Amino acid sequence: MKPEFKLLDRREFVNFVSRSAALLGLAKVGSESATAATTSAEQTSTNAFAYDVSRLQKTDPKLIAYEEVTRWRSPRTSVRQIAIGPGDQVHVCAGHYISVFNPQGQPAAEVALTGPADSLAVASDGTIYAGLRDHVEVFDAKGQRQAVWAAPDRKSWLTGLAVGKQDVFAADSGKRVIWHFDLAGKLLGRVGEKNASQNAPGFIVPSPFLQVAIHADGLLRVNNIGRHQVEAYTFAGEFEGAWGRITTAIDGFCGCCNPIGFALLPDGRFVTAEKGLPRVKIYNHVGEFESVVAGAESFPENARACNGLNDCAHGGLDVGVDGQGRIYILDLVTSEVRVMKPRA
Amino acid sequence: MPNPPKSGQVNPVSRRQFFRNGARVAAMTGLGALTGVLATRGTAAGWVWQIDPAKCLRCGNCATHCVLEQSAVKCVQAYAQCGYCQLCTGFFAPEPNELTTAAENQLCPTSAIQRTFVEDPYYQYSIDENLCIGCGKCVEGCLRFGNGSFFLQIRHDRCLHCNECAIARVCPGEAFRRVPAQSPYLLKSVAK
Amino acid sequence: MRRISKFGWLGGLLLLLLGGVARAQLLFPPPEFESGYRMPVTTTPPGRALWLQYLDVGVLAACLAVAVWLIYRPRSRRGIFWLSLFSLAYFGFYRKGCICPIGSPQNIAYGLLHPSYSVPVTVVAFFALPLIVALFFGRAFCAGVCPQGALQDFFLIKPIKVPAFLEHGLGLIPYLFLGAGIAYAATGTGFVICRYDPFVPIFRLSGSFFLLAAGVSFLLIGMFVGRPYCRFLCPYGALLKLGSLVSRWRVRVTPETCTQCRLCEHSCPFGALREPAPPGAPAPIPGERRTLGWLLVLLPVLIIAGALAGRALSPVAARLHPTVALAELYARQQQHPVVYGVMTPEALALARMAEQPGTVLEAAADLRGRFRLATAIFGAWFGLVVGIKLILLSLRVSRTDFEPDPGACFACARCFSSCPSERVRRGLPVVTVQPPVPAAASALAK
Repeated sequence: MKPEFKLLDRREFVNFVSRSAALLGLAKVGSESATAATTSAEQTSTNAFAYDVSRLQKTDPKLIAYEEVTRWRSPRTSVRQIAIGPGDQVHVCAGHYISVFNPQGQPAAEVALTGPADSLAVASDGTIYAGLRDHVEVFDAKGQRQAVWAAPDRKSWLTGLAVGKQDVFAADSGKRVIWHFDLAGKLLGRVGEKNASQNAPGFIVPSPFLQVAIHADGLLRVNNIGRHQVEAYTFAGEFEGAWGRITTAIDGFCGCCNPIGFALLPDGRFVTAEKGLPRVKIYNHVGEFESVVAGAESFPENARACNGLNDCAHGGLDVGVDGQGRIYILDLVTSEVRVMKPRA
Repeated sequence: MPNPPKSGQVNPVSRRQFFRNGARVAAMTGLGALTGVLATRGTAAGWVWQIDPAKCLRCGNCATHCVLEQSAVKCVQAYAQCGYCQLCTGFFAPEPNELTTAAENQLCPTSAIQRTFVEDPYYQYSIDENLCIGCGKCVEGCLRFGNGSFFLQIRHDRCLHCNECAIARVCPGEAFRRVPAQSPYLLKSVAK
Repeated sequence: MRRISKFGWLGGLLLLLLGGVARAQLLFPPPEFESGYRMPVTTTPPGRALWLQYLDVGVLAACLAVAVWLIYRPRSRRGIFWLSLFSLAYFGFYRKGCICPIGSPQNIAYGLLHPSYSVPVTVVAFFALPLIVALFFGRAFCAGVCPQGALQDFFLIKPIKVPAFLEHGLGLIPYLFLGAGIAYAATGTGFVICRYDPFVPIFRLSGSFFLLAAGVSFLLIGMFVGRPYCRFLCPYGALLKLGSLVSRWRVRVTPETCTQCRLCEHSCPFGALREPAPPGAPAPIPGERRTLGWLLVLLPVLIIAGALAGRALSPVAARLHPTVALAELYARQQQHPVVYGVMTPEALALARMAEQPGTVLEAAADLRGRFRLATAIFGAWFGLVVGIKLILLSLRVSRTDFEPDPGACFACARCFSSCPSERVRRGLPVVTVQPPVPAAASALAK
């Protein structure tokens, strides 16, 4: 190839430099307008496949019958259940600990466990029962360990505890049964296994949230989460009835398994806690929907993101009730305790 | 290796020839050193792309950004983690009219989930991969209300193994990564 | 190799088991079925078998050998044509353009700078084999092995001559594309050379509209401008060009001594054929020397200016990295909150970042630092390429024969049959009409 230019004199050099400067400037303008274009494109991008439940996350304000008194955040995370003891002391099991608060949320005590607890119950004398995956740890009111009861089955995964005057019931999500113990930890019987003679339909437990409570009417209540119902049993295991219906509407339970938690008001009505659409509601003693304590919009982190963006199995809520009928909501995502009282 | 072309080029080495020879030797040495360095940490089988289910955000990009007409990303079912729920929120739309398999009750835009009765009250849910487009809608539905047994994976019998995965670069969760070709799936672990 | 893969299997299995044990605790058992239902197993269809990947390397090596033989021994255009059709079928439509050497420099750069990624043996082979061949025999890969080249070659109908200034100017782009590809791979941004390959979507018969349109446009342009991608974009072609410039043996038009008959003058559709130095008085030497001197002074200036300009443009370049883009989106969101739709990718990315903003911001800051270095090096490379091009243009031509430029020649063997000596060698009738047969028409001629 022949040389394209004969001599690079000063004028040519200046020419060259100015041209390349202009080119660079042009490149800069170009890339910035490209960035601006991509930025605006980003903002209009959509997801045609979004799973949109935002409509269901709004609650009719007329249905909300409670208001918040106070709230506090548990110093320990990985909270799982809440139970209210004598003197309205608030017990929260959080990872390897049980944290005890006074009703205002001031930390009062802490009990260390041998492992993470999934369930919790407090007797009227202050004895604390903590259900770990495969055993129950019993502490006196001062936090001294009194006993350890091994779970009766290899598959056990204890997720609910209820303590009465002479009985302790442990809900076992792994074995799908309620174990009946006496106060010394002796196994007395089993409740709720599929059994035609007792009319028991059997527990459907897709995720570890089976709970149990002793109602003032003398029957057990168990949340059969896979059937979206709360069921009643005698201590001997006789099925006595159930309530609850499957719907995303506010008066029912939705998702794979709800309600994941419940508690009993002093007058025998029910407080239920749900996951997926995190909400707390009141049902009367026969299971008719009454009102909402807090809807999904009250738990934005819980509703948006479960526990992190990927771990919804560990999201949701749990509830407890104190002697005055105030409701304590435990947010499993934010580790917050909210105290609610009826609206004046 | 074929012989040099027969030509009258066998002159005494000129300056240009010398330069060329030197440059070639240098290039060969460089190439040899490079491949040597790479070989010391080389792998035989190489890499494939995969989605880490723990990072997937179900944004829908897998359905729209794969270079294939129908994405190589599919929903898969970790049966051992499934609750076999009657009301499967991965199968049913958020507000179904009734719990039947009618298309308007289904969440999946392509009706790719097959629901079969097992025993009361359990149902099995499996994915028809010829219909699944990898949008992740069911994954979100299952994760949000259920056990999270549905998750997205690149199916390697369909994937073209692009050098740069077109979905990976738009993944908002940075969930795509190269994994060794010998263990090309990142399955949700199985309960025991 | 077999042993390695066996151990790899074992290791993978072990990892899987350990992972399973570690995670199993979090999971909840499935129902206990009474009807004897057997739970299906999640299937894991395997990818392409390893031996098939080695087969690709074998086919590549064989094709290269055949191409070299065809170019130097029978000097057969027809042979090259059929070989390129085979390559188009195998590497193009069967392997769908992946694996191909064009993108391999990115894997090498990425592998060198990211210890977690070890470059697979097959990729190293695809990177090195065509280069080694180029160092000895020229661009035999381009001649008949590259599917992208074969596709464009197939569409070449009526080549026109590209003006010299365009040929030289556009000819710089491959070096810049190569530099950009390596810079983006080295920073872990992505593989832009693969991302913007216009022909792979055609091999796959699917892809984004933009890329398919680009591919079709290249083919349409390629009907008149021979192999536009190879000449004016292909980054691997730039490497092969450098290799061929110093190759041991070179493709020549004539098998014998050039008689300067000029019959081959228009036989190259790719503008690679160079005419000899004009006979008669050479230009005055002092003037040329002065130009050369100026250009040699200009070279470091260009390099430094390029480096500074590259550094200045690094914030723009860094935006292509998803992490940097997310950090900027986050910053914008803090100043001017925008409500994104339900579960849109942006909303989800921001939600993810909101969980640990510090980590992402730190990573973005680190990446911006890497980009400052990478773009400065890229700018310097830009300056170097331009400077060397200017110097080469000012050098004196020493050719005495019509010869293909060793760098630009694709060794397609089209020009051979235009040479009377070659026709005599093959016992073909010597063409006496001027001008000689156009290149495309001669594509299948003996």
